[in-house]
Amino acid sequence: MSEASQENDSPGYSLMALAGIGILAALVAIFLYVPTEKTEGVVQRIMYFHVPSAWIAFFAFFIVFLCSILYLWKKEREWDIYAHASAEIGIVFCSLVLITGPLWAKPIWGRWWVWDSRLTLTLVLWLIYVAYLMLRAQSEAGSIRAKYAAVIGIVGFLDIPLIHFSVLWWRGFHPQPKFITTEGLGAGNDPSMNVTLLIALGAFTLLYFLLMSLRVRLERMKDEIDRIKKERLYSH
Amino acid sequence: MNTYLSQVKAIVWKDFVTELKTRELFSSMFVFAILVMLIFIFSINLSIVDANQVGPGVLWVAILFAGTLGLNRSFTLEKENGCLQGLMLAPVDRSAIYFGKMLSNLAFLLIMEAFLLPVFMIFFNVDLVSHLTPLLAVVFMGTLGFSALGTLLSSLSSNLKTREIMLPILLYPLIVPIAIGSVRLTGQVLDGKSLADMMNWVGLILCFDIIFISASIMTIDHILEE
Repeated sequence: MSEASQENDSPGYSLMALAGIGILAALVAIFLYVPTEKTEGVVQRIMYFHVPSAWIAFFAFFIVFLCSILYLWKKEREWDIYAHASAEIGIVFCSLVLITGPLWAKPIWGRWWVWDSRLTLTLVLWLIYVAYLMLRAQSEAGSIRAKYAAVIGIVGFLDIPLIHFSVLWWRGFHPQPKFITTEGLGAGNDPSMNVTLLIALGAFTLLYFLLMSLRVRLERMKDEIDRIKKERLYSH
Repeated sequence: MNTYLSQVKAIVWKDFVTELKTRELFSSMFVFAILVMLIFIFSINLSIVDANQVGPGVLWVAILFAGTLGLNRSFTLEKENGCLQGLMLAPVDRSAIYFGKMLSNLAFLLIMEAFLLPVFMIFFNVDLVSHLTPLLAVVFMGTLGFSALGTLLSSLSSNLKTREIMLPILLYPLIVPIAIGSVRLTGQVLDGKSLADMMNWVGLILCFDIIFISASIMTIDHILEE
């Protein structure tokens, strides 16, 4: 048992080192390398946290969707663990988006919150996956909980395009994406900004995988403890 | 196919008979919807705002809140006395159970709306009669989407300890497209404009209906399983 866990640890450490280097590089790039933006000033640097967080949130919810489908198909506990871990990480980064957004908006737009399409979409997404985690918390561990959660994981992700269009036609205010435009990736920006954003995106993605591996390991340990407890209980 | 339809029909019929016997669901939904409208009328000043502007929103909030009451009852009723067990033991497809429950939820809501719309017309002093056909189409599309997703989530939440709380928490963020779209379309209809200008919204709501009816058929097997 201890040998197996030792083996499991070694890729974890290398991932941890990679993510650590990535985060350090991103911090150096964001605070030392990239020049201050001309019109928005220093507050614009929050973009290098805001955009990667949004990317990770959407990516994490997509992973929840995939793992939910795989769970309903294969009925293996493994996929349930992945979906759960990814939803938790997604919520953390979605919350970060919702926190950094108003901090950035206040000096630029003059108010904390506007009911624009992307803000609303992020808020609704946050609510959907909070409900997902509440559902998990309120049902007892087992295959029933996994199935219910998987259904919500699938239905919730299918809803995202519909919510996107409905809030888009409802209001539109958010600046158009500046980095992925029809003219090409990052056209019209200073190249150093593009490089910094890419480094930040990479660092956050590494962080996501690191958190995933840690969370999955934790959940497996929980399962192991439950199994051992049951064994003890029935052996006496 | 015929047997499938008669199975669905039997479940709808069963729900109607229960409702006619107890008469507890319909009256509570209707009274609750009126109360919701009343609270909104107290909280907005109708002499300042245009009734055509706020009316659709109030109407749909009343429908969605009252509908949630109905959905909560829908499967809780089956849980009592092990009725759901009986349904599942019956040699019918799981999707037939879903369709039966969905259609009876839809029917209850539509009947409730048939009573609610005249009340809405009187309270908000708006003219519904002159654009009745598009209005009914909008109400039907929105209610269909709400019942489609609502029945799936109600079958799921009825097995939880905190079912009355979890159903709205799961349901409301997911029906955002229906909520926004129906309010927009109802406003459009009340303004006397043609629905042809807002075909994107009509398409969105129809997409919602189709996507969630199909998603429910595909996933209901996993929920109704013990």
